[in-house]
Amino acid sequence: MEEIEKTFSKEQAAIEAERCLYCYDAPCETACPAHVPIAEFIQSIRTDNLKGAREIIQEAHPFIETCGRICPEESFCQSACTRVKMDTPIKIRELHRYITDNTDPSENLELVPATKEKIAIVGGGPAGLACARELRRFGYQPVVFEKKQLGGVPANEISVTRLPEEIEKKEARFIHQNFVSEIKDTTIKSVGELNKEYSAIFISTGLSDELGLDIPGNNLDGVYYSRELLKRAKSGVRLPHFKRIGIIGGGNVAVEVASVLKIEDPLRDVEVIYRRGTKELKAFKKEIEEAIEVGVTFQFLAIPKEIKGDKKVDGLVVTRAHLGEKDTSGRRHPVPIPNSDFVIPLDAVVIAIGQKADVYFPKVERDAKGLVKVDGGLMTNVKGVFAGGDIVRGASTVVECVADGKKAAQNIAKYLEGEKNV
Amino acid sequence: MYKKIDLSMEFLGIRLENPFILSAAPPTDEFDIAYNGLKAGWGGVILKTTSVEGNPVPLKYPMMSSFGSMSRKVIGLGNIDLISGYQIDEIEKRVKTLKEVFPEKMIGASIMGAKKEDWQTLVWRLKKAGVDLIECSFSCPQGSMGEKAGRMLAQSVEATEKVARWVKEAAEDTPVLIKITPQVTDIVEVAKAVKRGGADGITASNTIPSLLGVDIDTFEPYPSLFGKGTYSGLSGPAIKPITLRTIAEIAKNVDITISGNGGAFNWRDAIEFMAVGASNVQFCTLPMHYGFRTIEDLKRGFAHYLSDMGFDSPLDVVGKALPNIKSQDELPSPETRAELVEEKCVGCGLCYLACYDGGHMAIDWDSEKRLPHFDDEKCVGCAMCMQVCPVDAIKMNEKIVGNNSVHYFVEKR
Repeated sequence: MEEIEKTFSKEQAAIEAERCLYCYDAPCETACPAHVPIAEFIQSIRTDNLKGAREIIQEAHPFIETCGRICPEESFCQSACTRVKMDTPIKIRELHRYITDNTDPSENLELVPATKEKIAIVGGGPAGLACARELRRFGYQPVVFEKKQLGGVPANEISVTRLPEEIEKKEARFIHQNFVSEIKDTTIKSVGELNKEYSAIFISTGLSDELGLDIPGNNLDGVYYSRELLKRAKSGVRLPHFKRIGIIGGGNVAVEVASVLKIEDPLRDVEVIYRRGTKELKAFKKEIEEAIEVGVTFQFLAIPKEIKGDKKVDGLVVTRAHLGEKDTSGRRHPVPIPNSDFVIPLDAVVIAIGQKADVYFPKVERDAKGLVKVDGGLMTNVKGVFAGGDIVRGASTVVECVADGKKAAQNIAKYLEGEKNV
Repeated sequence: MYKKIDLSMEFLGIRLENPFILSAAPPTDEFDIAYNGLKAGWGGVILKTTSVEGNPVPLKYPMMSSFGSMSRKVIGLGNIDLISGYQIDEIEKRVKTLKEVFPEKMIGASIMGAKKEDWQTLVWRLKKAGVDLIECSFSCPQGSMGEKAGRMLAQSVEATEKVARWVKEAAEDTPVLIKITPQVTDIVEVAKAVKRGGADGITASNTIPSLLGVDIDTFEPYPSLFGKGTYSGLSGPAIKPITLRTIAEIAKNVDITISGNGGAFNWRDAIEFMAVGASNVQFCTLPMHYGFRTIEDLKRGFAHYLSDMGFDSPLDVVGKALPNIKSQDELPSPETRAELVEEKCVGCGLCYLACYDGGHMAIDWDSEKRLPHFDDEKCVGCAMCMQVCPVDAIKMNEKIVGNNSVHYFVEKR
């Protein structure tokens, strides 16, 4: 399967870079959670200094090839672009990608010796690896605990049509080779296991479990969970025989799995079935547009009631809804319309209604949703134990996880320096 | 996180941490601004031109004007500025303080006088303050204190030699640069006069006399001061080609150190200045437009260039292009034709117009396909079509006689 988006040509990049105003204290940089020096790198595109541009982006962010492809720019940098007040915002992510697509990772590294304490990082996704890289730059010895393929969600689940197989793994490998002291493939379930050997701990295990859908028929043959499917797709396993697949949900995972299934077999029907309306979709605009482009259809205002079938799925009963008041998420709530049930004929149902955290680390305080609670410096209630990424934020983005990893590393260093001074 | 590539070099016996200098201009006219520039990483400063006490400097405002398109407003920047309003008593203090705070940076100062006594007093006082280098403004287009009112000192070969000698006599072992103007009949004669006068180097060059524009409703020139205006000194990207030619002509004909100034806007321009003979490059319009932060891209771009090219020092670049600069009659006569890169062509037809109305009628236009067709018999290879192509879809090929291979050249303009 080929990547959908094409990289900018040299001419396109030059014209787009020329539009940038090169603002003082550029608001795009503030809006980027990882504070990538955007105005600076666009200036470097103007002067055709791509190697220099790569270095400054790479210095700020360890997953730049990944984010150059999948970062939802409209939610971050682009939303703050001054140019909006004149015409349209600069295509920042595309310019970023132009740099990474036309340069090799800079291996011209110069690091201080790793003479400081060992730090345990539990979870080798974007947050954990960003934290490891930053700690190593300060001279600490990060040890990463990860049982699966390094790289977390982007490496294991994001569709190859958006993020080619090698991209994120290559970046994770680069961090592994240059910044991580050791990778251990043990599952860590409590702080106590690490206390003796490590001076501080960073928990970045992400959201490993999926939310179930509590309706009749959810155990029939042909009912799947979305992230499981994405993982299978990423490793090349297909779902060949289904012709009518319904995806329940309205987030990025739902839209992504729908696109993957449709691209896998363009002759099948793939429909996203969502309780609320178009405006309430949580998926990013670009992903929705790409899904529509490949032929995914949407059934809005349909509340799943029952998966029908005898052993195997043969349809989904839904109740028609209308939109009521806004709920706690700030989006309008679906209200069922009486006697409006109808059946959508399907031979498979994919549940993609959200993810939840595991239940390890019993001493670490969690909120009602099971997410880890942290203070402003990302420290948990347990001294010396920090956390960041999806396990703290809920489902988020690579760039936010990277920002957490960097911030945690700075605070771990501050914490350890403070300990010494006491 | 990355290994830094060393950009340091020697310039007239002064160590520069990089070849990028802030020129004698507004960015060096206030102590705090010059200080911030050095702190941001520029290799040195030449403080804005000063004079002896009691010499009034009647500045007029608004001072600046510019021309360019809406998408790129400052292609040329004009000013009706004069020398600094701060005189030598203030400048000698600044030199002393800056040298204390930045012992590793080049602290230069620019001077202008009327009489021999003025020139030499300025030099002595700056030397005493610890200045690294003295630049003499022989070429401010406005309000010059030359021999004749309204005429630049550097427009007289005799005056240039005489004043250069006065200054060098007082400066002794402190390096002296003479800042000249391209606005002369023969730049080489002026450069030779500088050398005869004993100065160590030439700053080539300065802003260029210009008139920035006229309001066609009111007939006021730009910048307009209650309806009246005057000639401006022009700087910025617009004058880069003029500066390149000035540096190259001097470097090819006179053995003297050159500091490049006028129109460099990025690291590539700086390398071009150096390739035609400058040993370092002065900047003013770039930091005035985009701030001192621009030093970062200058340094990074130059550093990667040096390592990609396998050069050890910025000085390795100096003069590299000079052997390739010839007079028109000495040039070879390649047989060359325009060639279309069809997949890049967007079908605007501008190449067709340029050739049909301003070239050799060698392009046919297929209005169905919206594609140009080049007639090799009619095409003389002037490359006008290439200049107007908005997507660089035209390149010039060169047939090598006696050997059937073809190679392309001038892919860049």
